[in-house]
Amino acid sequence: MAKDDNEKEYEIEYSEPVGILAAQSVGEPGTQMILRSFHFAGIESAIATSGLPRIVELVDAKKKPATPITYVYLSGSAGKNVEEADRIAKKINEVKMSTLVKRTVENFSKGTIKILLSKQELESEELTLGQVADRIQKVMKVEARAEDRYVLVKIHTKNLKEIRSTGVKLMKAVISGIEGAGKAVIQRDKKSGEFYIIAAGSNIEGILTVDGVDKSRIYTNDVFAMYRVFGIEAARNAIAKELSTTLDEQKISVDIRHLLLIADAMTAGGTIKGVGRHGLSGQKNSVFAKAAYEETVKHLINAAAFGEVDPMKGVTENILVGKQIPIGTGSVRLAIKKEDMSRAKPR
Amino acid sequence: MQAEIIDSVKFGIVSPEQIKRLSVVKLSVPDTYNEDGYPIDGGLLDQRLGVIDPGLVCKTCGARAKSCPGHFGHIELVRPVIHSEFSKIIYMVIQSTCRSCHRILLNDDGIKMLEERSHGISILEEEMIGEGEGEEEGKKSDEKSLLKRIRSIKKCPHCGAVQQKIKFSAPTYFYIEDRKLKPDEIRDAMAAVSNEDLKILGIDPDASRPEWLILGLLLVPPVNVRPSITLESGERSEDDLTHKLVDIMRINQRLGQNINAGAPQIIIDDLWELLQYHVTAYFNNETSGIPPARHRSGRALKTLAQRLKGKEGRFRYNLSGKRVNYSARTVISVDPYIDLNEVGVPHEVAEKLTVPFYVTAWNLEKAKEMLARAQYPSILNLVSTDGKRKRVIDINREELLKELKPGDILERQLVDGDIVLFNRQPSLHRMSIMAHRVRVLPGKTFRINFCVTPPYNADFDGDEMNMHVPQTLEAQAEAKYLMEVQYQIFSPRDGEAIITNNEDGITGMYFLTKDETRLDKEEASYVLGIAGIYELPEPTKDGMYKGKDVFSMLLPKDLDFEIKSHGNTFKISKGKLVEGVVTKETYGRGNNKLLIKIGMDYGPEALRNFLFVSSKLADAYVTLAGVTVGTKEYMTNDEIEKARAELLENTFKQVDEKITQYKDGKLDPLIGYTRRESLERMIIVDLNVAREEAGSVLIKYVNALNSAMQMARAGSRGSIFQYEQMSMFLGQQATLSGGRIKRGYYTNRVLPHIYSGDVRPRARGFVATNYYTGLSPIDLFMHAVGSRGSEVYKALLTARSGYLYRRLSNALQDFHVDRDLSVRDTNNNLIQTVYGGDAVSPVNVQFLKMAEKEKEK
Repeated sequence: MAKDDNEKEYEIEYSEPVGILAAQSVGEPGTQMILRSFHFAGIESAIATSGLPRIVELVDAKKKPATPITYVYLSGSAGKNVEEADRIAKKINEVKMSTLVKRTVENFSKGTIKILLSKQELESEELTLGQVADRIQKVMKVEARAEDRYVLVKIHTKNLKEIRSTGVKLMKAVISGIEGAGKAVIQRDKKSGEFYIIAAGSNIEGILTVDGVDKSRIYTNDVFAMYRVFGIEAARNAIAKELSTTLDEQKISVDIRHLLLIADAMTAGGTIKGVGRHGLSGQKNSVFAKAAYEETVKHLINAAAFGEVDPMKGVTENILVGKQIPIGTGSVRLAIKKEDMSRAKPR
Repeated sequence: MQAEIIDSVKFGIVSPEQIKRLSVVKLSVPDTYNEDGYPIDGGLLDQRLGVIDPGLVCKTCGARAKSCPGHFGHIELVRPVIHSEFSKIIYMVIQSTCRSCHRILLNDDGIKMLEERSHGISILEEEMIGEGEGEEEGKKSDEKSLLKRIRSIKKCPHCGAVQQKIKFSAPTYFYIEDRKLKPDEIRDAMAAVSNEDLKILGIDPDASRPEWLILGLLLVPPVNVRPSITLESGERSEDDLTHKLVDIMRINQRLGQNINAGAPQIIIDDLWELLQYHVTAYFNNETSGIPPARHRSGRALKTLAQRLKGKEGRFRYNLSGKRVNYSARTVISVDPYIDLNEVGVPHEVAEKLTVPFYVTAWNLEKAKEMLARAQYPSILNLVSTDGKRKRVIDINREELLKELKPGDILERQLVDGDIVLFNRQPSLHRMSIMAHRVRVLPGKTFRINFCVTPPYNADFDGDEMNMHVPQTLEAQAEAKYLMEVQYQIFSPRDGEAIITNNEDGITGMYFLTKDETRLDKEEASYVLGIAGIYELPEPTKDGMYKGKDVFSMLLPKDLDFEIKSHGNTFKISKGKLVEGVVTKETYGRGNNKLLIKIGMDYGPEALRNFLFVSSKLADAYVTLAGVTVGTKEYMTNDEIEKARAELLENTFKQVDEKITQYKDGKLDPLIGYTRRESLERMIIVDLNVAREEAGSVLIKYVNALNSAMQMARAGSRGSIFQYEQMSMFLGQQATLSGGRIKRGYYTNRVLPHIYSGDVRPRARGFVATNYYTGLSPIDLFMHAVGSRGSEVYKALLTARSGYLYRRLSNALQDFHVDRDLSVRDTNNNLIQTVYGGDAVSPVNVQFLKMAEKEKEK
C-alpha cells in the first residue's frame, strides 16, 4: 500500500453493508458492558442511567428517559458570578409541594386542609409561608392562607372525595421554579471555571423562558425534548452524542460513523422512530422480513387480507427463499458480451 | 446458479373456488386407518393426499414417497365458520359498510379524499399499525379521524338506513344490537360489498374477498405436511394437525346428522359453536379467549400458527437459518507454528469434505489424473452434466475415467491450501467468520494460531468451531479476497487491530526488548531460528546480542516509527528498535499503533507475517527466559504489611471523623445532596482513594522483578488491581444498584454481627482482608454478596444485549452504500447523503488518523 494520503484509499466501498456493520459494532460489545463500579466523577454520573439500559432506552426511542438531565449554560456575566448563577438556578429549580410538607390534616366537616411545612426545607428553598400560600392559591385556584405555623387551604365543599383528591393534587403542585425542570444545581466547569446549571428534568421549553439562560448552548439528554425545541437534525445529533457518551463511559470505542448511521436511520423519516417492531423494523415493506422478525402470524394475516405484494428486495426475504442477497457482493453481476462469448471456444 | 428467480410474492386468501381446484379429494370419514392398518378412503390419510410410507404409490400422481409432493384435500363444513385469525379484518369491513345496502359508509367527498391520498396505506392498515404504540402526533389529524368518523356515522349516506352498533368479542363473536350474528349472515354481508368499495378500504379484491374469510370449505394439507410416526412399539402416532382435523370432521359429521334429524335449534347452535372452536384451535391454538386444545398427555397441540411462530418456528428456525452440507465441527486447539490464515484440519475431516473440480476441455488431462488416484487426495463423487451424482469406488473408476467429459464436476477431497470458512458462535461480528487455508494435520482437532483467538473470542477449554467449504468459484474468490484473516485484522468497529498477539506473546516481547536483555549467540540463533529468520543481528563488543536488536530483525528495514505514551517513548528508526519496550500499548489489543503503522505502510500480508513471526519469536524467548507465577509472587514483606495497616488505619480514621462530624451536624453537605447522601458519597470517595493508594504502595514496595508485577506492567496478564486483591485488600463490594451493601439482617444491618445503623466501611461491605491471608468470615460474606450480584447482572445483561443486537441488525440490515456514497436501504430510500459525513470507511479510520499525524510532521 502506498504511503500517499490519497483520499480514495480510505473511502468506504460500494455496497458495503454499513447498516450491519453499525449493528454489529454496537451489539457485539453489549455483553462487555460492566456493572458500574465505584467511580463518582460528578453529580451526573451518579444520577444518569448508563451502560446497556441507556443504550436500549435510546435506540428504543423512549418518549421520556429514565433520568432526564438538562445542561443550562448562562449568558453574559452569570457564567462567572456564583450569586447570579445561583439566582437563575433558584428560578429554574422545581420545588414540589410534597418536598416541603411535613404533615397534612384534613378536616372533612369544615372542608379544609391544614398543611404543616418543614421549616428546614422552606429555608433551604428560601421560601416563606406566605409565598407558598399565594402560590397554592394561584396554581390550584383554591383559597389558601398562611397561619402562624402552617398553610390553611379551604375547599368550599364537604364532598369527601373532592377534599381528598385536592389534597393529592396539592402535593404535586409546583411551588417555585419551572414545572418539569427538576432539581437544579450549580456546577462549575473544571476546565474553563464557568458556572452552569444542571437540572434533573427536561422541560427545556420552560427553562428557555428564564432570563440569563444561554439559548444557544442548552442541552438535554432527552432526545424528544431536543426534537420538540430544536427540530429533527438536533435530535439526530443528540442521539448520536448520547450513544457516544454512554459507550465512552464504558470505555468501549465505537466509531462515530456507526452511531451517526443509527441516529440517521432513526430520524430519516422526520420523526424519531425506535428500532423495534413498532419503529423501523415494523415499517419495512417486505411481508417476509416483518414475519421473520416478530409477530409472524399477524403480519402474514394482514398481508393476505389486503392482498399485499412482497417486492423481494431486502436481505431477509431473499435469505428466506434462498436467493443471493442484494447488497455487498450480491449486488453486482458479471456480464459478458455475446460476441466475446463466441470467441471463448475451447481449443 | 438460480434455476428460477422469484421476482415478487403476492399474498392473498384462498377462495372456495380455488379450494375446489386445489383439492383432489373430499374427505368425509373422521378417521385415519382401518383395523388392518390401511389408510381409509376419504379419511384424513387418504392415499390420494400423497404417501409418506416407503413402498406405497400415490393414487393421484403415481409417484413414490420420495418424489410425491403431496396433494390437498378438503372438508365441506355443514355450517360455515369464521376464520378466527381474520376476525379483526371482518370486524373492520363490517363496521365501515352499511348494514343494509353494504356500501362504504362515506359520502362521495370522503371517498374522493381517500382516493386522492398519496401514500398507499389504507385506513384499515393504519388502524392495525397504530395498535402497538401511540401514533405520532402529526399523522393523527385527518386520516385517523376518518376511520373514527366512519364508525360514528349513524345514517348511511347512500341509502339512508340507520346504522346499528356492531360489537365484536374475541375471538369470533359478533353482535348487532345484542343479537349474535351467525357466520352465514356475516358472509352474506361481506359478499354484498362491492369491489370498488373494497379498493377504497385498501383491500385488493382479486386477492382477497372478505366473504372468503368465512369458511364453508376447509382446505386440508397433504400428509407430507403432517406425517404420522410409527413408534418402536409398532404403534402409530399422528401429527397434531391430523388430530385437530379429526376433531373438526367428527363435529362436522355430528352437526350434519343433527340437522338432518331435525334436532332443536339450541343443540344445532351448540354444535356449530363447537365446530367453530375446533376450527379456531386448528388455525391457532393460542388464540386468546379459547382454552388450548390438548393432547392426551396434557400437552397443548401445536397447530398451524404455532408452527410458524417464534424462535423455533418455521420462519426463524428453518427459513432464516439453514442447515448446510460441506461443513465440519470439532474441538479447537492451539498450534503456534501454523500461520494466522491457516487452519489445521484433521485428516479424517479432509477425507470426507469435498471441493468441486469443474472439468473443462483445458483441464481434462489433469481431471483424469485426479480421478485415477485411489489414495487420499482422491475423487469421491462425479456429478455428470445431467446432474446425477455417482460415488467413485474402485469398481467403477475405470469406467468413469472413460466417460469423463468437459462439463462434469469432480468432487475431490480437501487438500492443503484449499480455502475454507471458519466460524465460532455466537457470531457477533463479521470477524466471527473468516477464511483460512487448509493444512491437513494428524489428530482430531482443528488447530489455529493463538493470535486469531480474539476475533472469534475463542479459548481452548473445550471450545468447538465450525468449518465450511465454499463450493462455487465465486464463493471461493470472495472468501479469498475479502474474508481471509489478513483482511480482517482491523475491526470495522473502531479501526483498531483485533487480531493481535496476547498473554505469553506479550510477556516474551517485553522481556526480549528490555534494555538490559542480552542473548548469547546460541540463544539468539535459537529464538530467531524458531521464528524462521536465519540471520543474526550485529553483536555487541563482548559477542552478545541485544534483545532489542534481535526484535529488530522482524521489522521492515525502512520502518520509522515513534510514539510517546505515559511518558515512555517507543522509537523505531530505520527498522531498528532504539528506545522503549514492547508492551500491550504498542503491540497488543487496544491502542496498537505499531500494528497500524505496519498495516498501513506494508499491507495486510506483511502485517500478518509480522504477527506470525513475532509471536513465534516471543514464544521462543519466553520459554527461554522462563516466567512463573506462584503464591510466592503475592507474598508480602514487613514493609508492605506495615504500609497496608497504615493505609487502612488512616482511611478508617478519616471516615470515622466524617461520621462524627455528621452526627454533630457539622458536616457540610455537597451541592444538591442531603447531608446523609453527602456522607455516603464522601465515604465512598475515601474508600476509592484507599484502593488507588494500595496500588501505588505495591508499585513502591514490590520487587521490580516480581513476575506477576512484570506481567501486569507488560499488559500481558493480570493488573495491579488484581495484585491488590491478592496482597492488600479486596476493597468495597458493590450491589446491583451501585451503592454499598446495607441490607440483609432485619434491623438496618447486613449481619447480626454488626451494630444496627453502623455506616463504617467494614459494616457496609468494605473487605479489608486479602486472598493471600484469607478473608475474615464477615468479609467472605460481603464478598459473596458482591459476587452474586455481579453474576445475576451478567445473566441479565447477556439476554438484554442479545435482544438489542437482534433488533438493531433487523432494523439496519438493508442499508448499504450506493454509488454516490450515500446510504440507502434496498428500496432506495435515502438514509444518509454521504456515509458518516465523510465517506471514510470505519476500518480505515486509524490509518487516516495516523496519516494525518504524519503529514503534520
